[in-house]
Amino acid sequence: MTLLVATLAGAAGAVLRYVVSGVVQRRTRSGFPLGTLTVNLSGAFLLGLVAGVDNLESSTTLATAAFLAGFTTFSTWMIETLRLGPSPFRLRPIANLLITLVPGVILCAAGYSLTN
Amino acid sequence: MGLAANRPPGRADGSFKRRAMSPPTPPPAVRSHRIALTLGNRLGPAAAVFAGGLFGSAARTGIGYWSPTSPGGFPFAILATNLVGSLLLGFYLARREQGVSARWSLQFWGIGMLGSFTTFSAFSLDVVHLVQDQRTLTAVLYVFASLVGGLGLALVGERTGMVLR
Repeated sequence: MTLLVATLAGAAGAVLRYVVSGVVQRRTRSGFPLGTLTVNLSGAFLLGLVAGVDNLESSTTLATAAFLAGFTTFSTWMIETLRLGPSPFRLRPIANLLITLVPGVILCAAGYSLTN
Repeated sequence: MGLAANRPPGRADGSFKRRAMSPPTPPPAVRSHRIALTLGNRLGPAAAVFAGGLFGSAARTGIGYWSPTSPGGFPFAILATNLVGSLLLGFYLARREQGVSARWSLQFWGIGMLGSFTTFSAFSLDVVHLVQDQRTLTAVLYVFASLVGGLGLALVGERTGMVLR
């Protein structure tokens, strides 16, 4: 039952990611992958908020966490980072790594401490 | 009666020239077809993302369910998921650039399935938990393994996809 709910929630999160990152990417018209950045940062903050409530022990917070896990993505972040330069050891790929990683972890911790 | 009267002056063979400035008004049948097409073009990709997302999140949830991370332990499940997902996405995109792919296949495989199989939010929460538990070295190791492994395996996937025939 939990598996089924988590699966459905994750797929719904994927659809919202597709919509949000598409809209952001079109609006900003940036060569930088700002759509993926937006979903990953907001998703990390929201998961921190949800996890702070009860450490994902109730079925409601667990389903929300599954939704947010599907909403954010790691693989697209990696691929888009690679495509920013001829090698990962250039300014733009490294900037894309740091601009997601550092604020993402900080926002997640901030969300967690807000509700915990 | 009225229709015949409104018709532009015809030629001998029954054909007629469209007047230069007359705006083409589509007949109702064509208009509803166009609405259906627009709806399909909007909903079809979203449905493909959802369908792919079902597989991706089911697999991720299953992995987390069968090998749960012990409290304070190293988050192997999410690490493995993210690394495998990066490898497969690199491979899929390289294959896709090699030749034709089915309609909405990017939405199904790339965005839906592999996008939701991997996760950034759970990765961030793992890091926060490790730092909270004063396991800073483990946190650094986890971040390092995820990023270096993810980039490296995505590259390996891309190269493999380009070499394969």
